Amino acid sequence: MADFPSPILTIARKDIGDAARDKFVLIVSAFLITAAMVALVVGAIALKTDVATYESAKQALLDLGKSANVIAKPEFYPLKLLRGFLEHIEILGAVIAILIGYRAAASERGRQTLALILTRPVSKHRFLLAKMLGGLTLIALGLTSAFVIGALALNLVSGVVLGPMDYVRLLTIDLLAILYSAIFFMLGFGTALWAKKLPNALLLAFTVWLGFVLIAPQIGDTMDPDNQVAGGVFRQLHMTKPQEHAVMAGFATYETIRNGIEISSPTKHFERLAFAITGVKTMYTGQPLGPILVEKLSDIEWLLGGALLMFGLVLAVPLDPNRLAKE
Amino acid sequence: MDAQTHPSRAIAIQSVNAVARQHTVTAIAALFLLLIMFSAYLGWSATHTVDAIYKAAAQYLSAQNQPVPPNPVLQSSPLGLLRNMATYVSLLGSLAALVIGHQLIASDRKAGVLPLMGTRPLRGSNYALGKIGALSVVLGGLIVFAALVSAATFLLLPAFTLGTDEWLRLVGFFGTSYLYMMVFGLLGLAFTARLKSETVGLLVPLVFWLTLTFVLPQITSNVNPVAALNPVSALANPPDAGFFVFTGSVLEPFSLAEAYRLMAARLLHFLPSEYTIRDVVPPIVSLAGACAALAGFAWSALTRLNFAQGDYNG
Repeated sequence: MADFPSPILTIARKDIGDAARDKFVLIVSAFLITAAMVALVVGAIALKTDVATYESAKQALLDLGKSANVIAKPEFYPLKLLRGFLEHIEILGAVIAILIGYRAAASERGRQTLALILTRPVSKHRFLLAKMLGGLTLIALGLTSAFVIGALALNLVSGVVLGPMDYVRLLTIDLLAILYSAIFFMLGFGTALWAKKLPNALLLAFTVWLGFVLIAPQIGDTMDPDNQVAGGVFRQLHMTKPQEHAVMAGFATYETIRNGIEISSPTKHFERLAFAITGVKTMYTGQPLGPILVEKLSDIEWLLGGALLMFGLVLAVPLDPNRLAKE
Repeated sequence: MDAQTHPSRAIAIQSVNAVARQHTVTAIAALFLLLIMFSAYLGWSATHTVDAIYKAAAQYLSAQNQPVPPNPVLQSSPLGLLRNMATYVSLLGSLAALVIGHQLIASDRKAGVLPLMGTRPLRGSNYALGKIGALSVVLGGLIVFAALVSAATFLLLPAFTLGTDEWLRLVGFFGTSYLYMMVFGLLGLAFTARLKSETVGLLVPLVFWLTLTFVLPQITSNVNPVAALNPVSALANPPDAGFFVFTGSVLEPFSLAEAYRLMAARLLHFLPSEYTIRDVVPPIVSLAGACAALAGFAWSALTRLNFAQGDYNG
């Protein structure tokens, strides 16, 4: 009997095999990768344009016998080109995770096999763990493929060969992206298990996605006074960073509320981590990875907490096999 | 009697009632309406905060004997107060429209009433007209509510008074928003009628929505996906590169989210002064063209819907 794989592995392996056959995960991953590659290439083109503009302005100044120091050289740090790529993972990656979670439950309900499985000597928890293991493996494969292709493309479009530490940073973000997506996978999976009607489950999951991925960050972003005026309010007032901090000290409560709205969104935690690790957020550019992770530990804890909460919910909510037909 | 003489009208009335009873649809529509109300408050609160920051900054600069630039709040139109509404319409309004369009057809296909309709003296064109009419009415209701909230905001805040031109611009903004939401409603209607599976019928228009909202603006204008969440940063000039000149001229007419945001910014006076309008095709033409094309597609899909085999369970 010991030779038999555990039911968890059997069910997870079957789900992965099914996904490989029906190509759904492949198609949605290809969509994410395409969008991410578009972002990467477009970012590289924009940067090259900035460099060309800088070079031509510098040459014009030198021709006039003036110093080129008066214009700022465009900053080049290859991982920064991943900004759009990471933003697509925030938005589209979460949608894809919901769809994979939804399908993990919907496939059993569609074939009316869920009630049948639960009549077998497979405990409810083992069954759920198996489905989650299968789904999360698929998500991990899809995201890791996106990061591998992204890294290769980054070498090509930036013209710079990435160093070992760059790969470590990318691997760290890949793991964080899997953790972030796990929250939305379990949302899609849970709602498809609990809802009476499957399409309603999908709509409910998308409503939650809208709230956490788009609306909460949008409100936080809108409340940022610097985003209310084109170019930024302090830039329009010709104020320096220290002057800005001095003025904003009087708006601490407002900033706390704004930050509170932003941190209710797992998307914002993933974004803060990913932007710090890649140096998209300028204050972290070129900083070593270790101190960044220490500083951003609370964001990691939020993501982990969100994933564990959803995991606990999926396991805790009772399943009613008699209600789990297709509709 | 009315229902007998006007089958399209009967279908439209029944569809509006059925859609209003569906909890998921009402939840998304309610979320949209809630955010519309919230956006008016958010616009006021953000403007008020920038004004307070300006006053604090002016005091700080004066104390340091530095020149005080003009207040950016006073340089903007009161209509800019509603700039967040453009974001909510482009993100949530369009998604709500898509779901409503989907449910208008999916509910009939799920309930198994199509064969029953096929036995009645009903033409495909009656059905199509009824469904498109129902979509127009439901989305019209959402937009009228949003317009009333906006009008009430301006009437209740005496600090922000509008002239005739500004009221007309507000009407133009809601007209454009209606057109934009109709595009997605028709997309949902058409694909749900056309495709065999209910889930795929929802997913395909959803992919269109994601592409139009987050992917196309990046190709045409280098607007990152998250920038789409902010009404001001969503309107950035593309880099001065041949690539963007090319993609702008080829893809801009299809970049409907961008067309809508641009129209909204022009009508509500929050277009950044440094923004260069390319207008390869005027945005209103893009939106009206897309709406007309999708109305044609929806008409074709609905009139060809097989009443004998149109059920999901059939």
